[in-house]
Amino acid sequence: MERWRNPAQYLGALGLVISVGFVPVSAQQPDFTGVWTNYVEPAQGRGAGAGGAATAGGGRGGGADLPMTAEGRQKVQAYQALIKGTGDTPGGFCLGTGMPGSMLGSGGYPMEIIQRANQITIVYEAHNEVRRVYLADRVVPEADRLPGRNGHSTGRWEGDTLVVETSNLVEQADQRYAHSDKAHIVERYRLTKGAKGERVLVAEMTMTDPVFYTQPVKAEKKWAEVPNGHLLPYECAEEAWNIHLEQLAEKARSKK
Amino acid sequence: MSKLGFVVAAAALLTVWSTGAVAHHSAQQFDFSKTASMTGVVKRFQPINPHMRLVLSVTDAKGTREVSFEGHSTNNMYRAGYRDGMIKVGDKITVFVAPLRDGTEGGYVTAASTADGRRFGPQSRAEQEAEREKAEGRK
Repeated sequence: MERWRNPAQYLGALGLVISVGFVPVSAQQPDFTGVWTNYVEPAQGRGAGAGGAATAGGGRGGGADLPMTAEGRQKVQAYQALIKGTGDTPGGFCLGTGMPGSMLGSGGYPMEIIQRANQITIVYEAHNEVRRVYLADRVVPEADRLPGRNGHSTGRWEGDTLVVETSNLVEQADQRYAHSDKAHIVERYRLTKGAKGERVLVAEMTMTDPVFYTQPVKAEKKWAEVPNGHLLPYECAEEAWNIHLEQLAEKARSKK
Repeated sequence: MSKLGFVVAAAALLTVWSTGAVAHHSAQQFDFSKTASMTGVVKRFQPINPHMRLVLSVTDAKGTREVSFEGHSTNNMYRAGYRDGMIKVGDKITVFVAPLRDGTEGGYVTAASTADGRRFGPQSRAEQEAEREKAEGRK
């Protein structure tokens, strides 16, 4: 390849990279950047669920109230039978909630949103679970995606509403809104005001899954902004590592 | 987050932190409908996630022995007032716990009073009620 000898060529290329990588957020679109925590409706009062979907993660399988197919119900019941009496959940093994449990509360911990024009990154404090919502030129071609518990998310703006579509999910019988790998989730995010005038992010979720459900499943979650908030570190596997080191030390001592 | 808010959030957090880092850290063995307290000298303290770990040297009529506890995630405790350095080895502290169902000593730490009199963790029912009355302008 011919080398560039003219510095202007470098500057031109750099300018191209900057213009593609740092597309400014449109003034018409709200900026969701910040830290958000569960919004509790004043009418809910003490002891109410957090933000309307406190049981979303669950970890103990789909709820009996959901319109499940026979196949979906059978898979959830098989999972519940497997863990019965153990108290085990994905979180107990340092596994993130996965979609849609992550967007519906992530166990009650806060989340941070970092918004760029072509990528919105959502960091859930619990288990450091991360979702990346790709927009425009950042969307990964279908053939290049790998399935996962949070799937692949693409976003677009409809006025002041962010619409996120998520697919490429793996089957998860282990959460409140259990689903198959054919699940397709649409989230609609918009800003509103809370009872005290605070910024509240409303997330409406609709999940369609012909394998697990006879009709679309809907849920809503509200997040309240934490002004100048910070997420805390969450190293879930630290204890397991500490225990392992202690066991190694014990082995070493017993050999002496 | 207010202390009252913490209590609400803590209930929701149960699904994440109650199940622990590895399979043997289920919350099933704890009775969250009850609260007990125990005072002792800190032998070991690990402020980690998803559960903090604590060993107290307890001396009472039964004699002196070491009692192990686990508890809320450190993040959870932080939002309820815990800060780095509040519990040190050698400190005499009191913990408030959900006791073990089988009667074994120990439990799940939900709050603590530190050596210098500070407290972190959710409020007692009376404290919750007082804050609620204040928030609603009744007090």
